[in-house]
Amino acid sequence: MIQVEHLTKEYKRVLRREGFLGSVRTLFSAQYETIPAVNDISFRIDEGELVGYIGPNGAGKSTSIKMLCGILVPTSGQIEVNGLIPHKERMKNARQIGAVFGQKTQLWWDVPVIESLRLFRDIYKVPEAQYKHNLNMFNDLLDLHEFQNTPVRQLSLGQRLRADMAAALLHNPRLLFLDEPMIGVDVVAKERLRTFIKEINRDQKVTILLTTHDMTDIEKVCSRIMIIDHGRIVYDGSLEQIRAQYGKQRTLVVEFEEEVQDFSAPNAELKKSEGKKKWFEFNRFETSPSTLIADISSRYPILDLAVEEPEIEEIVRTIYQRKPEVFGTEAK
Amino acid sequence: MKTFWAFARQHFHASTIYHFDFWLRVSSILILMYGTRWLWITLYTQRPGAFGVSLQQMVTYAILSMAIQNLFFTGPPYYMAQQVRSGAIDVDLLKPLDFHFHMLARSTGEMLFRVIVIALPAMLAGYFLFDLQLPATWQTGFLFVVALLLGYLVQFHLEFLLGTVAIITLEIHSIDWAFHATSRFFSGQFVPLWLFPGMLGTLAAVLPFRSIFFTPLSIYIGALSGSAITQALRFQLIWLIILLIISRWLWGRVQLRIISQGG
Repeated sequence: MIQVEHLTKEYKRVLRREGFLGSVRTLFSAQYETIPAVNDISFRIDEGELVGYIGPNGAGKSTSIKMLCGILVPTSGQIEVNGLIPHKERMKNARQIGAVFGQKTQLWWDVPVIESLRLFRDIYKVPEAQYKHNLNMFNDLLDLHEFQNTPVRQLSLGQRLRADMAAALLHNPRLLFLDEPMIGVDVVAKERLRTFIKEINRDQKVTILLTTHDMTDIEKVCSRIMIIDHGRIVYDGSLEQIRAQYGKQRTLVVEFEEEVQDFSAPNAELKKSEGKKKWFEFNRFETSPSTLIADISSRYPILDLAVEEPEIEEIVRTIYQRKPEVFGTEAK
Repeated sequence: MKTFWAFARQHFHASTIYHFDFWLRVSSILILMYGTRWLWITLYTQRPGAFGVSLQQMVTYAILSMAIQNLFFTGPPYYMAQQVRSGAIDVDLLKPLDFHFHMLARSTGEMLFRVIVIALPAMLAGYFLFDLQLPATWQTGFLFVVALLLGYLVQFHLEFLLGTVAIITLEIHSIDWAFHATSRFFSGQFVPLWLFPGMLGTLAAVLPFRSIFFTPLSIYIGALSGSAITQALRFQLIWLIILLIISRWLWGRVQLRIISQGG
């Protein structure tokens, strides 16, 4: 469905010289610096996949999505979206994809939602039967009828995103790009959008690429994640895999029968202490939880205990915070 | 054509929201009609026969000019500048529409809307209140509509070019102001071009602006006839083709710049 090879995008920025004379000189002979936004990335997304695309701000997520949409020309490398080269066949590509940019709406500001959808129907030449069918579906899944006669500028953010989602899917695209589609939305609306995304992926086999900063989105929706940082893909794989590969730390939470002094257990580090409760962190490849528990229980009577896995957010934070040089060797 | 109507429909919806804007426009047109009619009557009493046509023709020219002024100036420059500045141009390019065609559909939709909501009511008011004459024959009326349409297309392309230039210079207000001042003057919106002296007259005759108000209006009042009409229409058509070619070429370059530098 999507095939990306050695894709690179560099932006040119004019280097400003200091002072008045400097800015005059810039007018005549500008010097440029090139900023790599996307740096030699390759990946492949098959039909029906639902991929989470994450990375810190400025990592290159939006730049790569814009290139996939054909509204940005790559500096080098190849892109193929369902057999088309997006920036060479922008309009043809536009008919087979749908996109929602959380920060920008595609709808017309002053007119009711339903009017915007009618205009989309005319622009994309959607047959009447398909239009009606999709509208019914949006009513069922997104409760579109609740606000279809409201002008877009009066919608709440959650409603606007639902309307945008409907607009992006009206022409039955095979592929959907969602660039931070849930930014700033409340918990209930978020849950609803997540369910909707999962349903259209499952029932209509729409291939979806989703960028987000919320790891809960990833955990609840995606089967595969790609992490991009400093323009490079630093991780590409399933959620379980990332847990296995990076989630080496486990936390043992022990509640003792009576208050005990702080102590250190072998191969484990005391992280937190709260009355009778203590948190020990250990590396699960070096220490097995059973040895650790046996050791502690031989010394003090234990009331309750639990082993906690790290949150995916924690793992991702660790990945973001590593130095870029490390990625070159570890990324596959 | 369906796309044009679709955009026109949008404007019906958008403008029902701004009732105030509508009444403001219509009433200001009526005031202008009253004012210009009074001005020409005074001028004709002072110097009858100095203006080349009868008072009735001149009043018709002036009133009709006020009634149709809202068909032009549909404003792609502001839209384009705003889209580029806010980055929303991405969303426009995401649609399976050629951008130039998209702008044309948008403007024409708005124009169709203004014909129905503003120009026709204003013409009716002009007919009943201010002695707006009907065209002499139905052929004249038809040629007037053709010339009006060509004039609209010339105006649209001038504005589209202006918008394209505004994207490059990132400055719109002063350019737009200068453009509209020039355009209003040389288009014959206020004064028929045959009243322009010497050099100014020659200049007005070669610039594209006369396609916009002067050609349709002078056809309507019968100041042009026979081969003069054919010539005027040909002039409009030639300018339209020239502007169309420049617009496509320049926009092509600007779009390439937008999509290679990320807006």
